[in-house]
Amino acid sequence: MIEMENVTRLYPRGQEIIEALRGVSFRVLPGEFACVRGASGSGKSTLLNILGCLDRPTSGTYRLECDNVSQCSDRQLSAIRNRKIGFIFQSFNLLPRTTALENVEIPMVYRDGRVDRRRALRALDRVGLGGRASHFAAELSGGEQQRVAVARALINDPALILADEPTGNLDAAAGRDVMRLLQDLNREGRTILLVTHDDAVASYASRELLLADGRIASDRAAFTSGPAMGGSR
Amino acid sequence: MNPGKLATQAARSMRRYPLRTSLMMAGIVAGIASLAALASIGEATKRETMRRFKNMIGTFDTIMVRPGGGRSRGMPTLVNVPPTLRFDDARAIATNLPEIKAVAEMQSAFDIDVKYRDRAASPAVFGVSANWLSLRSDEVEQGAFFSEEQDQSLARVAVIGPELRKSLFPDDDEPLGKTIRIAEVPFQVIGVLHGRGAGPAGGSLDNLALIPVNTASRRLFNRDYVTMLIAQLKDPSRSEDAVAAVTALLRERHHIRPPALDDFAVTNPAAVMARVTQASGTLEKILTGVAVMALMVGGIVIMSLMSIAVSERRSEIGIRRAAGASRGDIVMQFTLEAAFVSLSGGLLGVIIGWGGLEAATRLQKLPPVFVWQPLGVSLLLSLAIGLAFGGYPAWKASRVDPAQALRS
Ligand SMILES: Nc1ncnc2c1ncn2[C@@H]1O[C@H](COP(=O)(O)OP(=O)(O)OP(=O)(O)O)[C@@H](O)[C@H]1O
Ligand SMILES: [Mg+2]
Repeated sequence: MIEMENVTRLYPRGQEIIEALRGVSFRVLPGEFACVRGASGSGKSTLLNILGCLDRPTSGTYRLECDNVSQCSDRQLSAIRNRKIGFIFQSFNLLPRTTALENVEIPMVYRDGRVDRRRALRALDRVGLGGRASHFAAELSGGEQQRVAVARALINDPALILADEPTGNLDAAAGRDVMRLLQDLNREGRTILLVTHDDAVASYASRELLLADGRIASDRAAFTSGPAMGGSR
Repeated sequence: MNPGKLATQAARSMRRYPLRTSLMMAGIVAGIASLAALASIGEATKRETMRRFKNMIGTFDTIMVRPGGGRSRGMPTLVNVPPTLRFDDARAIATNLPEIKAVAEMQSAFDIDVKYRDRAASPAVFGVSANWLSLRSDEVEQGAFFSEEQDQSLARVAVIGPELRKSLFPDDDEPLGKTIRIAEVPFQVIGVLHGRGAGPAGGSLDNLALIPVNTASRRLFNRDYVTMLIAQLKDPSRSEDAVAAVTALLRERHHIRPPALDDFAVTNPAAVMARVTQASGTLEKILTGVAVMALMVGGIVIMSLMSIAVSERRSEIGIRRAAGASRGDIVMQFTLEAAFVSLSGGLLGVIIGWGGLEAATRLQKLPPVFVWQPLGVSLLLSLAIGLAFGGYPAWKASRVDPAQALRS
């Protein structure tokens, strides 16, 4: 599914150069549920942006389902994001003055065919928000907003879901709802990569990549049997 | 890329920010409103001028020759006629010049009393040849015009204008067959002309009596010179050639060698008309320039507000890019948004401009001036402005780095 080889990402900042990623190599198989952990500033978001085709590596190669993404045009990358990847962010990233339904519809705007309202409604139903379709995003609670974001992420039926601290702004209960949804999506065969600081959230994953200072410090299978998300985080 | 779906998104975000949208529209509304109003007034004035001009001249396939020298331009006056243009000049023009199809002669007098029983009026009295009617594309509404034979036999017959008819026969009396007295000479009314309305200066063209020119010459005015000749052209597109030919012929006949001044003047109505419409065209250009300036300002307002909006909407751009929007999609969507805003402004402007114009003409009791072309042009212009001035902010929007924009 994912194949990264010696990927680096440098940011020029004034005179100096910040090395956010300094040669990252790993593979992810289809259907895996992996989490990425590491200290703040270790390059987790940078890695996820490259995986999500929102950013390009400075050097190294990245293959997604065999396509060498590093050589794609903007149009091709956009099509890949549209069809293969669903994004979930810490800060939800919904359009505030827009209804839940219209937010879910956005990925359908940028693909072929018409915007299928019934499909969007079904996706909202799936995350338990069928009754909130016509509410503005800003009127929803954090947990509800993140579930709308999940519905948006799955509307185009992507094979890969990237989540950057999806529970970071949520309380324990709301976080658990979102993680259960992600778990469901993984059981359908979707590959999931998740960035988190939270042990309870990490326990949903079957593999843990630890980033330190722009490098992979460890890559191991998580031996926890199933989620153990307690009341405290 | 699917323009229909992008247009829907553009229309939605236009409604999502009503304050910004109305600010962006304001300049366009003002510019288009004034442009639509000015252009309508300009176009309507031009048409009205043309109509009145045509009323006076009749057709544009004629040139006019009148006595008196100098290079005086504009329309001939009919009083104080110098005795330099004679009937044989008219015959010479008609027979010798291949450029000319026919010539009509005209003698005139004003302030002659015309009476019917106890009623009196002082219309313009024109002695004209029998082909006058066709050269001026005039029409007889009632009765008939006089014939060539009547002209040759010095018949005392008259065709009167509708206004003279009203003053002499006010109670819907039948004028045909009645005898009126022109300068105490009895004439029989044989026809009534169709009304022509107002001339370019506003005066009526309907207060007149037409009598055969030979009758006028021998029985009334006792003159063998004419007030004016109207020469009909074979080829109206070559009026300047005809003017030159007539000028040359008359100079020869009158033994005039430049630098001696001509004792006649040739007027080419097509050329005069062109000058008149050109003059109103210049005014129109200035006014249009002002309105276009207003529109430019409106366009710049759109551009700057859109640019600000692009920085405010970075996260929206990031969201859309993550959802699969390409740079092209973003350009298209933002450009469409600007175009919609501008077009709505244009629509509103056209309505306001036209409404204002309607109100003004009603208030001033002027004839209505609805001309749709300037309104259509204004709308197209507003669309073009949206596209032109929305293009740059849209391009900027497409350059937003999605990874950065999504970092919160
Ligand atoms: N656009 C940028 N310009 C310059 N430096 C950047 C940019 N984006 C990230 N960085 C730097 O790259 C490094 C890695 O950033 P990144 O956001 O990937 O860290 P992270 O692991 O996601 O941290 P956190 O857990 O706080 O979200 C940081 O030092 C950051 O300051
Ligand atoms: Mg991060």
